[in-house]
Amino acid sequence: MVRKKGYPEALEKKLHDQRYYREDSNPEFLPKVKAISRTIAHMCFQCGTCTGSCPSAPRSTYRIRHFMRRAVLGLENEALTDPDLWLCTTCYSCTDRCPRDIAPTDVIMAMRNLAFKRDIIPVNFLKTVQAIYSSGHGVPNNDVNRAARERLGLTRDPPTTHMYPEYVKGIQKILDHYKLKANADRIVKEREG
Amino acid sequence: MAEKKKASTKKTEAKKQEVKHEAPVKQEAPVKMEAKTQAPAKVPVTTGPKVKPRIGVFICHCGTNIAGSIDIKAVEAYAKTLPYVVHADNYQYICSTPGQKKITDAIKEQKLTGTVVAACSPRLHEPTFRTATKEGGLNPFRFEMANIREQNAWVHMHDKEAATEKAKDAVRIAVAKASLLQDLTPKTVSVEKAAMVVGAGIAGMQAALDLAAAGIKTYLIEKSPSIGGRMSQLDKTFPTLDCSQCILTPKMVDVGRSPNIELMTYCDVESVEGFIGNFDVTIRKKARGVLSMPEAEAKGIVGGGCNGCGDCEPVCPVIKPNPFEMGMKPRKAIYIYHPQVVPLLYTIDWDSCVKCGLCVTACGEKKAIDLEQKDEFVKVKVGTAILATGFDLFPIEKKTEWGYKTYENVVTSLEFERLICASGPTSGHLIRPSDGETPKRVAFVLCAGSRDNAGIGKPYCSRFCCMYSLKHAHQIYEKIPGVASYLFYMDIRSFGKMYEEFYYRIQDEGAKFIRGRVANILEDPATKNLHVYADDTLLNRPVDMEVDLVVLAAAVQPGWDTDRTRKLFGVSCSSDGWLLEAHPKLNPCGTTTAGVFIAGVCQGPKDIPDTVSSAEGAASAASIPIHKGEVELEPYFAMCIEEKCAGCGMCVNLCPYSALALVEKDGRKVMEVTEAKCKGCGTCGGFCPGGAIWMNHFATPQIVAQIDAFFLGGER
Ligand SMILES: Cc1cc2nc3c(=O)[nH]c(=O)nc-3n(C[C@H](O)[C@H](O)[C@H](O)COP(=O)(O)OP(=O)(O)OC[C@H]3O[C@@H](n4cnc5c(N)ncnc54)[C@H](O)[C@@H]3O)c2cc1C
Ligand code: SF4
Ligand code: SF4
Ligand code: SF4
Ligand code: SF4
Repeated sequence: MVRKKGYPEALEKKLHDQRYYREDSNPEFLPKVKAISRTIAHMCFQCGTCTGSCPSAPRSTYRIRHFMRRAVLGLENEALTDPDLWLCTTCYSCTDRCPRDIAPTDVIMAMRNLAFKRDIIPVNFLKTVQAIYSSGHGVPNNDVNRAARERLGLTRDPPTTHMYPEYVKGIQKILDHYKLKANADRIVKEREG
Repeated sequence: MAEKKKASTKKTEAKKQEVKHEAPVKQEAPVKMEAKTQAPAKVPVTTGPKVKPRIGVFICHCGTNIAGSIDIKAVEAYAKTLPYVVHADNYQYICSTPGQKKITDAIKEQKLTGTVVAACSPRLHEPTFRTATKEGGLNPFRFEMANIREQNAWVHMHDKEAATEKAKDAVRIAVAKASLLQDLTPKTVSVEKAAMVVGAGIAGMQAALDLAAAGIKTYLIEKSPSIGGRMSQLDKTFPTLDCSQCILTPKMVDVGRSPNIELMTYCDVESVEGFIGNFDVTIRKKARGVLSMPEAEAKGIVGGGCNGCGDCEPVCPVIKPNPFEMGMKPRKAIYIYHPQVVPLLYTIDWDSCVKCGLCVTACGEKKAIDLEQKDEFVKVKVGTAILATGFDLFPIEKKTEWGYKTYENVVTSLEFERLICASGPTSGHLIRPSDGETPKRVAFVLCAGSRDNAGIGKPYCSRFCCMYSLKHAHQIYEKIPGVASYLFYMDIRSFGKMYEEFYYRIQDEGAKFIRGRVANILEDPATKNLHVYADDTLLNRPVDMEVDLVVLAAAVQPGWDTDRTRKLFGVSCSSDGWLLEAHPKLNPCGTTTAGVFIAGVCQGPKDIPDTVSSAEGAASAASIPIHKGEVELEPYFAMCIEEKCAGCGMCVNLCPYSALALVEKDGRKVMEVTEAKCKGCGTCGGFCPGGAIWMNHFATPQIVAQIDAFFLGGER
């Protein structure tokens, strides 16, 4: 627990206690992450192969190894509130190479799940939910793509909900079951008015 | 001496070398000496008919090790210009079979009288090239080595020209000596069919058991009242987690039972005289105050002596801390460390005994207790000896930042072993010393005092603390439900067989690893909890971890009496105090003193598997001279040129090995050398004012020729 010194606000912010204390760690976090990700997250020995493999790491401050460390130590707040959590491309390179046979990608997915439960999620992810709800696609087809498909001798629309819009309803049913759309609409509204 | 005067006159010429070559003494025909009745060296006689020296020079490339910094061809061409050199050659690796064949062939074809190899250090390959010289038909001592690798190529790699000149100097000097070398024959001495092992931890016990099994009478000397060493204090052993006592006790019993082992506990080595094959060792039998059954019988007390019944202990009024339990359990002034001691014999601590005599009464008819017993001295003769004196924990309170001995809930790893052990002071219930509560959060401080160059700690890695800290974490998970463990580490060194797997297992059990050396520890005075401060270098954040108990994986250091003991046996130590092996890779059990070997942690930190391997290695090495029955001594001993000896006797006191004496011969006093004792150090030879001492293989004319060759040149 960060110790406050009682300085004026600006100074307090500058000199804030950066230590981590035992109480900062939630002993329930690691078991939760493991249950959702179904991977042996506690076995990470911090070799860094994951970050070394990650295409996101050289282009950002995102460090998958850092999230693994937070999982092991139970630093839930820190992990879930870090905007870097959303920079994983889900390429699974780290999962391919981890020497302890952990799936770091799935650890990230588990943390995103837990973050969403606390309404922590970037708006663009929510807009993806809305797009899927309305079209069955996270990235719906557009005219540029359609032209490209034609040139390649394909149908203008792929054989998905684009070609068979009657199935969008089924997708909506699934999303409604998990209240995904409702939550997305609510949060977008709160943020964007 | 005459030669010296001539030699130092002017530029060397072949003629004068001829004169010098006539060394005034020749070694005697081989003699086999009995250790006790060594035949003294006979009066040296002059050499027979002169032979003009014919020297062969062989220059080694050592791959590019030498050839990379020295112009081999130039050195070879130069060698051919030197006096007496009739043959010069070079090769990639002279130590290889074809390289050695060049030497043997040249000796035969060129009728060489001496060989010179310019290559690496004689420490490495002198024996190799001596053998090659012998195989060519020459006496092996007709060989001389010029070190142009360690002392030249490796240090002058940036100056090829100067390095080449220096190599020429080295070859010229070696040739000058080789021209004067004489045939020498190593002497042999017989070897006593007995061995000694000092220290009866697992290393000493294993070595003694092996020697005994090989049919060798073995004296096992242990300074404390029981054998077993540190291993008997451990609860379980990594990585298999077998109970330490369970695997150790049978071995202790075997040691006590073996007819070939003479177990001498509560004894110190007092003095050592002699040399390989014939060490005369005096043992101090410290007064134990208690007679064993055989001792009682020898004193005519029929059916008496200590049978370990323990009747004495309850009546003793004096209570002291038991060092075996790290002071956490009481013992009396008459005590045994623990119930499994071997031998099962009580001991009196004279510093605390008040001589009330209650124990004597309690012992009754067994008459085992002698409150007036005095130390005794016993002399034994052995052929070889093994030192296995083990280790102590570094006094970790010296690192004040961790608060050992200041904060009650900071304990050492050995204290932890006793606290978690079912036979320990708490019957295996781990407690916080401050309040007896079961700790729920335990921090382990690895590298406590190891890998520390700040002067107070130890620069080396103590090598088993990573592994036993993992074991300790396992032990608390096993015994305390819901406990949390934090291992503060710099690296986890889990190098042995099944060790990395053990590390995996302990992490899987829930141990938390925090990579960062503990900076300091502070106590909360109200709760006696401890705040451990470190940097989680993987998270890049400082840590303040509040825990109930801290265990310091303290560094280890040589046992406190090791230094005195090693000096008695003439064994060196490295700068950190661990006993020095003859070669760190190729001779880790040997020492530079022939016939003395080292085993276990006294050579450097080792876990039990490595300790046992080193003990078996030392036992095997120590048994070789005993099984051979005789050993060869380097024929580098001093000889007296009796016609020059004035009998002043000044050399006698100078000799550090007491190898010299004055004797009556033909009505006058002359010096005499006990060759087996002489180590060839040359102290006497350098000193003798009359020049009456001839140092075989390092004789004055030989050395003068080398100096002349260096200063005056010697090219034809
Ligand atoms: C806390 C702790 C836990 C450990 N756990 C493990 C483990 O789980 N697994 C493992 O493999 N290893 C473990 N080790 C290492 C193990 O203790 C050593 O490898 C082993 O004890 C070394 O045996 P030794 O015979 O060389 O030395 P020691 O056990 O120290 O024995 C030396 C003996 O020589 C005697 N002695 C000393 N000087 C003299 C003298 N001058 N004259 C006569 N006698 C003398 C001593 O009294 C002692 O009996 C642990 C070590 C520690 C500190
Ligand atoms: S590759 Fe695996 S073990 Fe290594 S840091 Fe990443 S998650 Fe941990
Ligand atoms: S799956 Fe995510 S964390 Fe893993 S390498 Fe790809 S982008 Fe990086
Ligand atoms: S064995 Fe481990 S804890 Fe011990 S000194 Fe070496 S690295 Fe440190
Ligand atoms: S890194 Fe920290 S401890 Fe080290 S010198 Fe700098 S301020 Fe001091």
